[in-house]
Amino acid sequence: MSSQANRTADRGLKTRRLALSAMLAALALIFSYVEAMIPIPVPVPGIKLGIANLVIVMAIYKLGFRYAFTINCVRIVIAGLLFSGVFGMFYSFAGGILSIAVMYLLYRTGWFSMIGVSMAGGVAHNLGQLITACLIVSNVRLMSYFSILLFSGLFSGIAVGFLAALIYRRLPDMRI
Amino acid sequence: MIKKADIVLFILILAFGLAVSWWSLTTNTGGDKAIVTVDGELYGTYSLSQDQTIEVAQDEDHINYITIKDGTVSMAYSTCKNQVCVNAGAISETRDSIVCLPNKVMIEIQGSAKNEGGDVDVITG
Repeated sequence: MSSQANRTADRGLKTRRLALSAMLAALALIFSYVEAMIPIPVPVPGIKLGIANLVIVMAIYKLGFRYAFTINCVRIVIAGLLFSGVFGMFYSFAGGILSIAVMYLLYRTGWFSMIGVSMAGGVAHNLGQLITACLIVSNVRLMSYFSILLFSGLFSGIAVGFLAALIYRRLPDMRI
Repeated sequence: MIKKADIVLFILILAFGLAVSWWSLTTNTGGDKAIVTVDGELYGTYSLSQDQTIEVAQDEDHINYITIKDGTVSMAYSTCKNQVCVNAGAISETRDSIVCLPNKVMIEIQGSAKNEGGDVDVITG
């Protein structure tokens, strides 16, 4: 009897996680859209705030790596089809996967706050995109963008991490 | 809210970035050749001292016009969607480059043979 009750509660929890993940994916998608609308007057591709990363950082802390990873992939595929094109999807995947892997590893060490995790994620994201660009154009000279993208990833990552830390403290401590 | 490890990581990344930018700034010198590659393969080498317009037409949908004027190179026109290459403006120094990712066209500047030895020390004695 009690095991059945347990199973029902477990299933309820799973459903709740699923619904939450879907909502977070939708939210991340909206952030991607808002970002795609804001023009950035810099002649270097890849500089942006990365507010969609806010959702991913939150998902890593609240739901764990598997959910965060899936949410990120769903966001990238849909945002790629809707806004940036299939070509842009390649870059987003390279950046997104490297960034989430780095963020999760740093999160697991327990040494870093959300700001540090997000900062490393921002740098890793830009680095992943740059490496993909080098592979596609098959020329290493593109690395001259490296320092610009490094700094932009660093500071946008800090901004996003700061925001994430503020929001995280205000979230109700619900069981998910 | 901020932990010690955050600051350490921040300083490490910052120092690394500054080192890379310092290195790329100090090794920059005025170039005198523009090298155009399409999909990783050499398309042509052009002198910066001669004003000209180069047409890179791969097919009807992938056309780029490169302009050389007063020692600087710029992408004057591109059929690509994002126009990042056109907005990149003019370049004139070695290691500078303009890349049109959608059309896979890349322009980079190289110096003359005598100041090209930046990667290897010339003085060995």
